[in-house]
Amino acid sequence: MSDERSRREVLGTAARGAALVGLAGLTGVLAVKANKTYAWSIDITKCVNSKLGALGVDVCEACATDCVLTLSAVRAVNEFSECGRCYICPAYYDITSAVGPDGLPSEKLCPRDAIEREAIGWIDPDDPANNFYEYTIDEKLCNGCGRCVMECKEPAGLGSIRLEVRHNVCLDCNRCSIATACPEEAYERDALSTV
Amino acid sequence: MKLETNRAIASNQFSEALRGVALDGEGRVYAVGDSSVKVFSSEGELVRQWKTALPGQCVAVDDGGRIWVGEFEQVEIFDAEGRLADTWKDAGRLGLVTSIGIRDDDVFLADATARWIRHYNRVGEFLNNIGDRHRKGGFHIPNGVVDFAIDADGILHVANPGMHRVERYKPDGELLGHFGRFDGRDPAGFPGCCNPTNLALDSSGRVVVSEKAGPRIKVYDPDGEFLEVVTDDLFDPAAKNMDLAVDAGGRIYVADPVALEIRVLSRRAETVP
Ligand code: SF4
Ligand code: SF4
Ligand code: SF4
Repeated sequence: MSDERSRREVLGTAARGAALVGLAGLTGVLAVKANKTYAWSIDITKCVNSKLGALGVDVCEACATDCVLTLSAVRAVNEFSECGRCYICPAYYDITSAVGPDGLPSEKLCPRDAIEREAIGWIDPDDPANNFYEYTIDEKLCNGCGRCVMECKEPAGLGSIRLEVRHNVCLDCNRCSIATACPEEAYERDALSTV
Repeated sequence: MKLETNRAIASNQFSEALRGVALDGEGRVYAVGDSSVKVFSSEGELVRQWKTALPGQCVAVDDGGRIWVGEFEQVEIFDAEGRLADTWKDAGRLGLVTSIGIRDDDVFLADATARWIRHYNRVGEFLNNIGDRHRKGGFHIPNGVVDFAIDADGILHVANPGMHRVERYKPDGELLGHFGRFDGRDPAGFPGCCNPTNLALDSSGRVVVSEKAGPRIKVYDPDGEFLEVVTDDLFDPAAKNMDLAVDAGGRIYVADPVALEIRVLSRRAETVP
């Protein structure tokens, strides 16, 4: 078994673990919000920032700007099991910025510096290009502006970063102001039994 | 004179996928996509087609006119009429075959599952891997494809997109050197997360590469000096892993997997036949 395949299996296990934690978290939310019958969610196949084929269009920042909360209830999430773990991630770096002396883009993409980059697995001591990197989004800093989501989309990236509503933060407004602003009808109200 | 095109081959011939393109000594064009091989005259006329057992990922034509099609965990070999002559499997070793090179007694199969290249002899005996001595255990291919070409001296030129390099290997797997660097502004460099994705050599040893996001074609001299870039709106913006072939006249055949057609780049504008 190659390093890659064994690591993919580990990552797959980690992703399943994260999904279970997410479910457990959601169960807690449902318990807290037992009187609620719905929750808001984003259809990533409709959101312009993640919709395949929507290339060369402006980033939609409505999820960041239109939430009634000061820091939006929407955050970006990187699904590690789908990430290419690239040396130069177009969601982390501004890949159009000038190249620095280290051979990397000199500027980052995220305006809130909410993405962490870390070499993972066995590290090549001589060649940083010969490593895999994990990109983790700090939920406390992210405001869901969607820029990294747009840059991670195929074909530039693998589409592993997407926007999600944080149900432990969302106020479950009856008329979500993001849903009203959303130009793509991507912001949906789901019956809780189907969430 | 700059490279340009106004000619396409295989338009409206594939409905879901177009993954590989190759040429034979007569200038015929071989395309694999969906689950079929389609052969076109040099003028672009469909002359023959047949089904493959699995979706074809790549295609090559050997000096005897046999057509090799890379698939998942196997290679199908057809005679010039499209009759199945042989099927190679190497259970437990061979994964998704995304590029094929044949030279003298050697057969090289790019294995995108393992992320390296398998070296066999002509009767299918495994000899060695190429790229497995990379300390990270293979080529970096977030794009999902390993592509390479063999030069007149038998040296393999391999695209290593995640490292923004083109690497050269001896058939025994020894790394001879590489060129390339990341650059999102200067076309001499390779932009984005992972470029170049695909690679071919012309008869002078120049290295022709394709890139994704945005799709473009570039040419480097045999030492890796940047010569030329073609970046207009020829290709669908979503196109990635555009396979390449170059004929004896220097024409570059580019398989656009989204537009589902093969664009022909040449130094003299050609009229649509
Ligand atoms: S959504 Fe915006 S704020 Fe959040 S990580 Fe991406 S670029 Fe940064
Ligand atoms: S329902 Fe309210 S709190 Fe939740 S995302 Fe919409 S506006 Fe923000
Ligand atoms: S408002 Fe709609 S289109 Fe805009 S980022 Fe949010 S979900 Fe996507």
